[in-house]
Amino acid sequence: MNRTFSLLIGVVLTVAASFVGLVLIPDWQLDPLEPVEAPDGTLRPQAPTGTVAEGRDIYSQLGCIYCHSQQVRPPDFGSDHDRGWGTRQTHPLDHIHDEPPLLGTMRTGPDLANIAVRQPSRSWHHLHLFNPIITSPGSNMPPYRFLYEAVPRTDGAPPENALDFPPEFDDPDHWWVPTDRAEALVDYLLSLDHTYSIEGDP
Amino acid sequence: MNIIYILIWGTWIIFGISVVWALSWAVGQGHMSNVEEAGCSIFDEEEPIGEMTDFFPGEGPDGAVNGGEDAHG
Amino acid sequence: MADRTSETPPSATPKPDPDALRGDVVRRARIDASCRGPVMFFVLTAVAWLLIGSLLAIMASVKMHTPEFLSDLEPLTFGRVRTAHLNTVIYGWSSLVGIGVLLWLQARLSRSTLRFHKLLYAVGILWNLAIAAGTWALLFSHFDSVEWLEFPVWTAALLGVGFVGVMVVSLDLFRRRSKHHIFVSQWYLFGAVFWFPILYVLANLMIHLGMATGVAMATANWWFAHNVLGIWFTPIGLAAAYYFIPKVLGRPIHSYYLSLLGFWTLALFYNWAGTHHLIGGPLPVWLTTVGTVASMMMFIPVITVAINHHMTMVGHFEKLRYSPTLRFIVFGAMSYTLVSAQGSLMALRRVNETTHFTHYTVAHAHLGMYAFFTMAMFGAIYYMVPRLLGREWPSATLIRIHFWTTAVGIFIYFTGLSWGGWRQGEMLNHDTVDFLAIVDYLIPYLWSRSLGGTLMTIGHVTLAILLWKMWRGAEEEAQGPAVFKEEPAKTKILPTSDGEEEDS
Repeated sequence: MNRTFSLLIGVVLTVAASFVGLVLIPDWQLDPLEPVEAPDGTLRPQAPTGTVAEGRDIYSQLGCIYCHSQQVRPPDFGSDHDRGWGTRQTHPLDHIHDEPPLLGTMRTGPDLANIAVRQPSRSWHHLHLFNPIITSPGSNMPPYRFLYEAVPRTDGAPPENALDFPPEFDDPDHWWVPTDRAEALVDYLLSLDHTYSIEGDP
Repeated sequence: MNIIYILIWGTWIIFGISVVWALSWAVGQGHMSNVEEAGCSIFDEEEPIGEMTDFFPGEGPDGAVNGGEDAHG
Repeated sequence: MADRTSETPPSATPKPDPDALRGDVVRRARIDASCRGPVMFFVLTAVAWLLIGSLLAIMASVKMHTPEFLSDLEPLTFGRVRTAHLNTVIYGWSSLVGIGVLLWLQARLSRSTLRFHKLLYAVGILWNLAIAAGTWALLFSHFDSVEWLEFPVWTAALLGVGFVGVMVVSLDLFRRRSKHHIFVSQWYLFGAVFWFPILYVLANLMIHLGMATGVAMATANWWFAHNVLGIWFTPIGLAAAYYFIPKVLGRPIHSYYLSLLGFWTLALFYNWAGTHHLIGGPLPVWLTTVGTVASMMMFIPVITVAINHHMTMVGHFEKLRYSPTLRFIVFGAMSYTLVSAQGSLMALRRVNETTHFTHYTVAHAHLGMYAFFTMAMFGAIYYMVPRLLGREWPSATLIRIHFWTTAVGIFIYFTGLSWGGWRQGEMLNHDTVDFLAIVDYLIPYLWSRSLGGTLMTIGHVTLAILLWKMWRGAEEEAQGPAVFKEEPAKTKILPTSDGEEEDS
C-alpha cells in the first residue's frame, strides 16, 4: 500500500477514535435525558422562550461566560455548596435545553447557576448591571451602561421603570431607563434556578 | 448502559489496534531501523555536523551568513 | 493519491538525485526561492494579526483591573474584546504563522520545491478575509459563547474550505520527498495538517450545527479546544524544535529513537485528554476520568522530548549567545516541558479542585501558546526569513530587544497570574473568605499581567519593524537588474566556506 496513504489512515484513525469516545458516546449516553416533574406539577428544566431566550443570547454575546460559570461542583469538591451557590451538583439534565450550555471555565465572578435564588430582586440586577460597584463595592465587573438609556431630567415624575439609585450614585442630570435588551438579560438571570431535585449522580 | 460501556471499550480497542498497526507498519517500512542515520538526514556536505548555521547578523564567524551576502556590508 | 505509478518521485529509485549533483547549497536555495512568496505572505499577515491581537489583549487585561476603561462602548466590552483577542491570536497569528512554518519545513525536509503558489495565495487571502470578518462579528454582532469556537459558522466554513488547499500542497511536498527516511519533524507536520481540519470541521458540526445536545456540546467543545493545542499547534512547535535545535547547533538529536516514541505516544494520548477541563462538572465521571488518565500518560511523550532536547543542548548552552533562532527555540522547548508537566498535574482531581476556574489556568494557557508555541515560531521566523529573502536581518540590537521584552514579559505574566491564581483557588475553596475580598486580592496580579503584556507587545512591534525593513529592502533590490528578479536566492546565496566553525 502507498506509504503516504497508510500514514494518513493512521493519523485519521487516532483522532477519529477520540472523537467517538469523547464526543459521540457522551452524546448518545446523555441524549435520552427527559425533564423531571417539579412539586408544582411543571416540568424542569424549562426551555428558554421569549425574553428569557433573548436574554440568554445577550448573555452569550456580551461574553458573561468568560467570568461566570454556571455549574455547581460536588459537595466534597471546592466550596460551592458552602458559598450558597447551589444545593446539589449540576446534572447533565439541567442543560438539556441549552445550545450550547454556558458552563463556563472561570470564576472571576461568582457562579450563576442559581443566581435567581440568591438575588431575586429585579432592581438589584439592574443596578448591578448598570454599575456593579453600586451593589458590590470593589467589584471588577465591567459596567453595562450601554444597555440603559439616559433620559434628561425634568421637574415631572421619573419614568416608571427608571433606575432608583442610592444617593451617592444618583445622576442629577438624567434618569436611566433599561432598554429591552437590559430587561431581557435580567429576565434570563431571574430564570437561573436549578434548585429542583434530580435523582442520581451525573 | 451496557451498550455504552461496550462502545467505550470498543473504541479503545479499535484505537489500540490502529496504533499497533501504524507502529508495526513504521517498523516494517524501516523507520525504526537505522534511526540514528535518519537523525543525521538534515545535515549535508555544505552544512555538516559540527557547524552552526544561525547567528546574530554580523556576528557570525567569517563566511557564515544567514541569508544574504550583505551580512557584513 | 490512489495512483502514483506515473509520477514516482526520483528518490524511490537509487538513481542519484540530479539536484545533489548541483550541490546542496543550490538545492536549498531553489527550495527557499520556491517558498518565498507564499510563506512570506503567511508570515507577514500573521504578524499583522499578532499586533491586532496584542492590542486587544492589553485592552482586555486593563479592563480586568480598571473596569471603567472604555466601558461605554459595547464593541469594546470585556467579553467581546477578550474573545476577539483569543480568536485573532489563535486563528490569525498562530495558525497563519504555523501554516507558513509548516510549508517551509515540509519543503525543506522533503527536499521538494513548493508548488501551487496561486492556490496558496488564494488560501492566505481567504483566511485573512474570514478572520477579519469573524473578528468584526465578535466585536459588533452576534456570537455564541463556545470557547475557542466563537467565530460564526460561515467564518468557520471559509477557514475549513481554505485549509483544504494547505492539505493539498503539504501532501504534494511530502509525496515528492527525496529521502528514504522521514525526519521526525515531518511526522509531526504530516499529522498536524490532517488533524486540524478533522478537529475543526467535526467540532463546528457538533456545536454550531446542533448535532450534539446539552452538555455533550461541552465535551465536544473541550475535545476541540484541548486538541487544537495538542495536535495542531504542539506538533508544529515540536517540528520546529526538532529541526532547528540540531540544525543550528550542528549536532544530531541525542536519541532519534526517543523522538519517534514521543510522536506516537503524543498521537495516542493527547486526543483523549481534553475532558479534564470539565472535572467536577455536570458529566458522567468516566468522561473526566478518561481525561485525567490520558493527561497522566502524556508524561511519556513530554519526558522523551525533554530528554532529547536537553541532551542535544547539553554542553552547548553558550551557543545561545550567538544564535537568535536557538534562543527563541530553546526558550520554547523548555516551556513545552514545563507547560506539559504542569498540564498533566492540573488534570489531577485534587490539583484541579484549586486551579479550575482561576487565573492559574489562564497563565497555563499562555505558557503553552506563548512561551512554547509563539516563541518557537519567532525562532523559526529568524531562521526562515533571511533565507527566503536572501538578506541578512538589519539589526542585531532589535532582535535582542525582541527576545528580552517577550521573554521577560511572559515571565512576569506567568509568575504573577500563577501565584495569584493559585491563591485565588485556595480562597475560593474556603467559604469563610468573602468573594469580594478575593477580587480585591487579585487586583495587583492583574496589573502584573498588563505589565507583562505591554512588554510582550513592545517585542511584537520590534519584530514587525524588523520584518518591514527586511521586506522593504528585498523589494528595493527587486527593482534592480533583471537577473536578480528571476532567481534572487540562487544568485544571492553564497556557499559557506568550510573549516570556519567556531568550536568543534
